[in-house]
Amino acid sequence: MPSEETKERVIRAIDFGRTVLHYGWIPFIIYVGYTRSNPQPSLIKFAFQFPISL
Amino acid sequence: MAAAPHENSRNLGPYTQITTPSKNSTLSPPLSPLANVYSRFSSWRAALGLSNPGTVENLQKEVKTTHLTNFVFDGARADLMKGLSMDPAFQVTHSFQLASQSTPPTYSFGALFANAKVLLQGNVDHEGNVSGRFQQSWSASNTSKVQAQLGMQPGHTMIQLEHDYSGQDYSLNAKVINPSPLDGSGIYVGSYLQSVSKNLALGIETLYQRAALDQAEMSSSYLAKLTGADGKWIATAQFQPIGVLQATYWHKLSEKVEAAADLQVIAAPMRRDAIATVGTKYDLRMSTFRAQLDSTGKVSALLEQRFAPSFAFTVAGEIDHFKNAAKVGVGVMIESTSLTPEEMGMVPPPGQPHF
Repeated sequence: MPSEETKERVIRAIDFGRTVLHYGWIPFIIYVGYTRSNPQPSLIKFAFQFPISL
Repeated sequence: MAAAPHENSRNLGPYTQITTPSKNSTLSPPLSPLANVYSRFSSWRAALGLSNPGTVENLQKEVKTTHLTNFVFDGARADLMKGLSMDPAFQVTHSFQLASQSTPPTYSFGALFANAKVLLQGNVDHEGNVSGRFQQSWSASNTSKVQAQLGMQPGHTMIQLEHDYSGQDYSLNAKVINPSPLDGSGIYVGSYLQSVSKNLALGIETLYQRAALDQAEMSSSYLAKLTGADGKWIATAQFQPIGVLQATYWHKLSEKVEAAADLQVIAAPMRRDAIATVGTKYDLRMSTFRAQLDSTGKVSALLEQRFAPSFAFTVAGEIDHFKNAAKVGVGVMIESTSLTPEEMGMVPPPGQPHF
């Protein structure tokens, strides 16, 4: 059985991981998509071309 | 000289490889009788020529895509999708939904990235709730999946880890929902589906649920899938010993028409209930139409009409005859892209406007 201190540490680590995932997941996908896309979209275009720009 | 038979055996696929003498000779002598039995067994199994039965998760996939239960909505919705890259796929989506009877108006933003091996998908709504999905294919037969839901309130978090293995004539799946490394609580699901003849596959799914205070519960359900000749029809059954039976039947009537029926029977001591649903789906050139009728008195229909390659219009309607209630939904879907048609690998026909 792990000690109370270890338990506390694990709970804090899980909480931290969850927060990172919560705020970082969508930016991470956008970063991956932006850097791996072919052809690479330009950042200005990406920022200003709202999806309905026809 | 010696390399030639080995090269030949490799072409037969990964399962027959073990039968070659060159492979057996690498094993230590005390194990060779075992290896012999195993190689005979596997070659006998390969000789049966059974195909993979598909995953347990997709057991009722055909019925679910024919019925409109998973597609119907009410109120108004708009989905604006922008493709930024085709290969690898990268797209962002803005979805708006309002005037629904059951849910408050929502806005959500989604992003998706996919290539041959990896799929990353995320969704965030205006309240800050994030849901995400990650899939990694390690090889043709191994896939790992992670699904998570992260809410703004502390209690609204869900994570599911999953691994799929599809063998030559069987599928295995292991799933863990909300595991806790401290006390081992969580929900653990394992499933196995095996082809026993060319048309029949049998399987079992076991769910083990462990609450925090050493309370554990285990339940199994039994699965069967019967596939007609050349895949024209599929019948499935899922039985849980507590008294729940779900039986489905799907038939492809023609290239464009599919019909499906679903029967759910609950005969537990506390509750007795049964629901039957029948539905059809028509795939026309520019539209999809689904109609459905169930034994609770609900008649519903859904039309998805594509006016242009990048503009689709959806109408959904449902009338509950027993409760005298009705729901209507209208939706638009607009796709746009920053890519030229040549970059997307398609050339629009002349005279057709492209966005």
